[in-house]
Parts: sequence; structure tokens; C-alpha cells
Amino acid sequence: MNRLTNTLENLKNKSEKALVAYLVAGDPDIETTLELMMMLVDSGVDIIEIGVPFTDPIAEGPIIQKAHDRALKNNVTLKSIFEMAQKYRENDNKTPLVLMGYLNTFIFNKTLIEDNKNNVIDSVLVVDIPGELNLRDYGVYNPNINTISLISPTTKKDRIKSIAKNSSGFVYYVTLRGVTGASNLDVNEISNNVEEIKKHASVPTLAGFGIKSPEDAKLLSQHSDGVIIGSSIVQMIEEGSQSKEFDRIRTYITDIKKAIS
Amino acid sequence: MKSDNINLPDKNGFFGEYGGKFVPETLMYALEELETTYEKLKNNNEFKKQFYKDLSEFVGRPSPLYFAERLTKHYGTGSIWLKREDLNHTGAHKINNTIGQILLAKYMGKKRIIAETGAGQHGVATATVAARLGLECHIYMGSEDVQRQSLNVYRIKLLGAQVHSVDSGSATLKDALNEALRDWVTNVDDTYYIIGSVTGPHPYPMIVRDFNSVVGEELISQSKELFNSMPDAIVACVGGGSNAMGAFYPFIKFNETRLIGVEAGGEGVETGEHAAPLNDGKPGVLHGALSYLMQDDSGQVKGTKSVSAGLDYPGVGPEHSWLKDSGRAEYVAVSDDAALKAFHDVSELEGIIPALETAHAFAYLDILMKEFDKNSNIIVNVSGRGDKDINTVANIDGIKI
Repeated sequence: MNRLTNTLENLKNKSEKALVAYLVAGDPDIETTLELMMMLVDSGVDIIEIGVPFTDPIAEGPIIQKAHDRALKNNVTLKSIFEMAQKYRENDNKTPLVLMGYLNTFIFNKTLIEDNKNNVIDSVLVVDIPGELNLRDYGVYNPNINTISLISPTTKKDRIKSIAKNSSGFVYYVTLRGVTGASNLDVNEISNNVEEIKKHASVPTLAGFGIKSPEDAKLLSQHSDGVIIGSSIVQMIEEGSQSKEFDRIRTYITDIKKAIS
Repeated sequence: MKSDNINLPDKNGFFGEYGGKFVPETLMYALEELETTYEKLKNNNEFKKQFYKDLSEFVGRPSPLYFAERLTKHYGTGSIWLKREDLNHTGAHKINNTIGQILLAKYMGKKRIIAETGAGQHGVATATVAARLGLECHIYMGSEDVQRQSLNVYRIKLLGAQVHSVDSGSATLKDALNEALRDWVTNVDDTYYIIGSVTGPHPYPMIVRDFNSVVGEELISQSKELFNSMPDAIVACVGGGSNAMGAFYPFIKFNETRLIGVEAGGEGVETGEHAAPLNDGKPGVLHGALSYLMQDDSGQVKGTKSVSAGLDYPGVGPEHSWLKDSGRAEYVAVSDDAALKAFHDVSELEGIIPALETAHAFAYLDILMKEFDKNSNIIVNVSGRGDKDINTVANIDGIKI
């Protein structure tokens, strides 16, 4: 069974919320990304979302944009990310790995997804395609990789239904109008929309974009099946990239995990 | 605004395999709202009346089709005619589109206008129509373009709009577009995004084409009146491709007219340092559309090089990609040097200082005019005037103003 589906089912059976952590592959370098992934899981992260750097990441706020730029300066490609995932799997064959990126990278490197050598990647999330569509609609398909769809506060009800039905792995509910890392959460709206999604989706609904503090995480986990943390982690990676001191991230993740438990 | 010539894009926004809507989910509803509004208004008589009234009284349309006597003599083959979009209010074809889109924004009740700009002409054209309606206006511009188009930056500010200098990525037009899209995602409820070219997600390539098609429509009647036949060729520069698309679109059904788009060859297409995706790119997705795109061997968008800020863009409108593949239009490229030479030549021969973008179209006449005889009629779309470029050209020529 797909690691992502499996992990989410286990959490559900234990009535626990999922904690997803995002980082950009190759920021500050591939070796450090590998260490950070191990540390995140060690601190309580259930699922890792690996940002695939792109020159024009239109859905990202300044923090993650800069991380994409840093990774591209290191010549990180989808190919080197698959190699990194391969290495990661030598120590951890359980944690689901989700690739999050932009369509051009995936259609340009379609054979990498289709091969998914040794089955290291579990899911792909494409930021810039309409929710009803997934990679298969663009000629890229691997039956062992599921595709996560996004639903946003502006998605109309009739579309929520078709998108929720189409998503596999989980439904990613974008909690705000804006780019990653912004801060204008509207809990009422989030709660109503997630309820609507859950009526139609056969997979869990996780909330992301704009979650910063353990309090945010706690509040949103009460209305969803889990939370996704991105910009805060990426910022701490940036701040620690000189000294290679990332203990703050460990403490931060531990606090979030506690808050949603 | 005739859109019955050919039935593209299809209902999903595709021209053949190109186009589409590749945007974050948050923008889907805004695109649908825009599409519904446009479909409702485009055949509405009152809307059309207002659009053409504004073009006539505020922009000064129709723009003349002018016989370029000395340029014609210079080549000694066919007659060269100039479509004078440089004479429009604000100095370029860009105003045709902004006049139309600001009407859409007004009908949709949007209070805030945003736009990206490269050479600054679209920024000026947007700030102009926003000022006219008293709407808040924000223009995104790459910091490199803010430097080389300082005159237009000041014009935009004079018109009461705010200029946001964009430092990310290559700090040019593509990055300005990224930032405008991010603004739109954040402020989608009250903001109208006026895209300045036939690029971006559906329905923009269609809307911008339709509003600019007034150029091609005028050319049909002016050609009949002035030389009593269809032109043998129309030549236009192509960055995103809005001036070319506006001139080409009404002529697609007239196969006797060759449609020729001229891309920015930068240091030469063979060097890889250029902005000519139709000549040296592969299909890819950028800014919401699938189209020819300059990209490296891992699918990243490549940096571009052109002396002209308005053509310095790695993508191109999806309808041009379709016209290229179908063979109905031809796409060539000329180098920075050739464009600069044409900039000087046309200024001296015709008393018209063309925009550096337009100079690319003129430069191609060196090759094209050899293919025609004395009885032929060639139209160059003079997409804009060159005042904004005099600092750039003076710098290159080593002259301090």
C-alpha cells in the first residue's frame, strides 16, 4: 500500500492529527536537506513535503521564493531530488514523501515520475493546475504515486465536490487568499469549507498556508485532519544555514506536535 | 471585437494544444468570473459602443496607415505602409487593451487595478485608464526595467499609480508577472488584473487579442481604400505578442496575406542569448499557459537577453504557438544590433523614432523586401514610439544626455 495512504489511515485509526512539514530540496544543500528530513521525522513529523525548486514559483511568498532561488543556485533538479529521496529511503522506508512543485518541472521530467525508481516517492502535488485535474491529464502517470488536489477559500461549492472526489492521498485545503507564509487566517471560513470538503472526499483533509504558531496549528487541527507547516520551517532553515544549527526547528516541531495531539 | 473569424480558443481556453488555465486554485474562480463577464459583454451593444467611443475620443483612433515613401525607395521593391499605433494616446498599441479591460473591471465592480509591465508602456496605459476612472492602481516592474525605462516609471507615478520594483529572479518582465499574480492571489476579491499581452491563463489571451484586433480590423478597410487589395504581408514584433496578434487575427482567414512575427534575437539566436522562444524554445508552462518557452535541460525557465525591455520575455502568447505550428504565421528573429540599426535608419528616413520593440519589425525588412516585387504592399505594425528608449540608445552609442 502507498505509504501516504497507509500513514493517514493509521493516524485516523488512532484518532490523531497529521503533521506535515515542508522544506525545499537543496536549501541550503542536498546533504543538509537529508539531515533535516531525518530530524523532522525524529521530532514528530508524519509526512514530508519536498519543495521542487522552480524559477517562477507564483504561489510562494518571499520566504519560500528565496529558498527556491538558493536551491536553483545549487543546480538542484528533479533528477537530483529523486537521487536524494533514494538516499533518504536507506534509513527510513516508512515516512511518506510528497513532491510539491510546478507543472512545467513535472511534464518536462515526465519519465522520472513514471519510473519512480524503487518506489521512493509516494505523492505529487502540483500547485499550478486546476483542482479537478491531475498529472495524468497532462500525460504523466504512475499508478503508485497519488495526486493531491488543492481547494481554496474561493473554490465554489460545485467545484469543491468534483475536486474532493478527484484527490487521492489527501485534500490540501489552502487556508487563505494569498501566497505561502501570509497571515490572514479566517477560522470560521476554514471550518465551514473543510466541513463541505469532508462531505465529498474519501480521503482526509489537511490545512496549510499561513500556519505559524502552535496556537494556529491547534486551532486548525480542530477543524481538519492535520496541518501543513512550510514557511516557518524554511525561514528557520535559512537562519540556521550558516551555523548548521537547527535545534530551533526540533523544538518548534515538538511544540506543534504537542499542540495538535 | 469580432471573434467569429475562427473558433479558438475552445471552451477550455486552448488554441490547439496551447493555452489553458494553469494557475493556483485560488485564482480559478476569478478567471471564471472574468470569462463569464466577458462572454456576456462582448456582444453587448452598449459595451461595444462605449469601447469604440473611448478608442475614438480618448485614444484618437483610427490610427493612420501611412505610406513610407523613403523607406519604400530605400528598398526599391514593394510599397511599405506603416500602421501608426505610435500615434495613439500614451504612445503605443497597449492602450487598446487597457481601454477594454478597464471597462470590464468597471462592470465587475472592482476597486483596485494591478498590472505588470516590461518596457513600461503597458504600465503607462494601465495607469492612464485607472486615473480616468479614479481607481487605485499598482504596477509591478522588474528592477532592471525600472532602471532602463526610468522615463515611463515617472510617467506612471505622475498618473497617480504606485510602482513596485521587483527584485526576484531575473528582475525583468517575467518576474513582474509573477509578483502581479501573487498580488492577485492575495487580493482576488476586490482586484482586477489587467494583463498586458496575449499571455497568461485563459481568458486573457483571448480578451487581449480581441481588444487589440481593432488594429487588424482597421487595416482591412484601410488596405482596400489605399491600395485596393489585401496586403501581401504584415510584419510585427513579438514579445508576448499582443500587437502582432491584434494585427494578425482579422487576417487569419485571408491566406493571401503573409503574417510575420519578429522575435528578439538578442546576441543572435545561435548564441542562446536571446528572447526568441518561437525560434529556439520548447513547449512548456509559464504564467498560466502552455506555449513555446525558453527553458534549460531540466525544465527551468531560462533568462532572456534583449536590448528591448518589452520583448525581454521567455514565453509567448499561446495563439502564436498555434499559428506557428499550423504554419499560418511565420516567426523569425533579428539581433539587437540589427534592431538598433533599424532604429536609427527609420528615424532618419521617415522622421519616426520607433520603439526598440518596433525596430525589430523594421529590421526584418532587410531580408523580407528581397522577396517582393514592386506591385506588392507590405505593412509594418509600428507598435509604439521610441521616446522611452532614447536613454538606452544614447548609452549604447556612448552619448551622455
